[in-house]
Amino acid sequence: MNLDWNIVWDHRAELLDGALLTVLLTVLTMVVAVPVGIVLALMRLSKSRVLAGASQAYVEFFRNLPLILVVYWAFYVMPVLLHIQFSAFTTGLVALCLNVSAYNAETFRAGINSIRKGQTEAAIAVGMSRWQAMKKVVIPQAWRRVLPVLASTWVSLFKDTSLVSVIAVGELAHVALQIRSSSFRVLEMLTAMAVIYWLMGYPQAKLVDWIQKRFEVKE
Amino acid sequence: MDFDFSALLDSWQYLLGGLGITLLLSLLTGIGALVLGTALGLGRVYGPAWLRIPIVFYIDTQRAIPVLVVLVWFYFAVPILTGISFHPFWAALMALTLHIAAYVAEIVRAGIESIRPGQIRAALALGMSRPQIVRKVVLPQALVRMLPAFGSILSITIKDTAIATVIAVPELMKRAETIAGQSYRPIEVFTVVMVIYFIILFPGTRLIDALYKRVAHLGRS
Repeated sequence: MNLDWNIVWDHRAELLDGALLTVLLTVLTMVVAVPVGIVLALMRLSKSRVLAGASQAYVEFFRNLPLILVVYWAFYVMPVLLHIQFSAFTTGLVALCLNVSAYNAETFRAGINSIRKGQTEAAIAVGMSRWQAMKKVVIPQAWRRVLPVLASTWVSLFKDTSLVSVIAVGELAHVALQIRSSSFRVLEMLTAMAVIYWLMGYPQAKLVDWIQKRFEVKE
Repeated sequence: MDFDFSALLDSWQYLLGGLGITLLLSLLTGIGALVLGTALGLGRVYGPAWLRIPIVFYIDTQRAIPVLVVLVWFYFAVPILTGISFHPFWAALMALTLHIAAYVAEIVRAGIESIRPGQIRAALALGMSRPQIVRKVVLPQALVRMLPAFGSILSITIKDTAIATVIAVPELMKRAETIAGQSYRPIEVFTVVMVIYFIILFPGTRLIDALYKRVAHLGRS
């Protein structure tokens, strides 16, 4: 077996660009999916049955689909449905946002629900408005439970960005797989890809563990 | 916009075969990951110190690397290294099992560690041996507590098998791509396949939730 590891160094600029795009996709998806998730959670907890039902339907639908299928679906269906041609990057971003905002909605809902109703009732009894009770009583406690879950969603998202490579978004996985097929240096490129993901993902996984320990709620 | 489902009607058997492969791959992966993951989880909690370090490293590595990368590496790189090449199905089974076992191990560990140490001390005070405590006090409660998490593992497993399409395992996702490509009807094909995945996954997760509600009291302490 003759291996030529120089191929990895020769393509360092492309790999770096791919890695940066992976990070960019992760950040942009989270930036969109957190507010959307909050809105969906509030819809679900609202008194309106229509809003609650719509939110629940959305969340259950996207949590129960393989992300790779959503990526393909967005790629083929969005342009026809909306009559706009999207770049591969935008399409990938939309698919990731659809998926992650559903998970975030559940995270926020569980976080808010984890604070006993009696606390909100007590806050209203002492004369706070609903919004004040939410802001001063529920949210300060709920975010401690929400943050660790968001952190682990972050890591899953970071890994899931590799799936948009199937529609040729030039992130790390796609770049590495492209170089593999043009150079025929299969083992070297695939190993390099795994190592780069590991180097980026390992510290994140450890950070999640730390956050989870730090914010652990003892019953 | 007009829809044409004739391509789907023509090849529904082909698609159904894909569904069968998806379910078979999910089932085998689920069993494999459960066995390997439980061994890793138990090894991490009760094993000797020299064993814990590689187990933790393995689990965290799998948590850091996308499943797509594991699949592609297993299918394309392992044959170069070892000279043995696998059918895509077996490569996918091994890669998915190795990946998901790490998550199972974390669930097993969290379940075991959720049992308060006071109970173990009480059991020791009663004169029970360590293996007895694990078998009679820790595991009966921990297993119930792990149930909802195993439910999500089941769902993740089925969803992850769709990624095996990248190494051309002829499962539902791959066959949908094939039909969509041949018929030039991607919208109809992918939408129908979306509904199929949803119909499988949604009741599955609901069933586990319902089961947990019935047995949850057994895990309380």
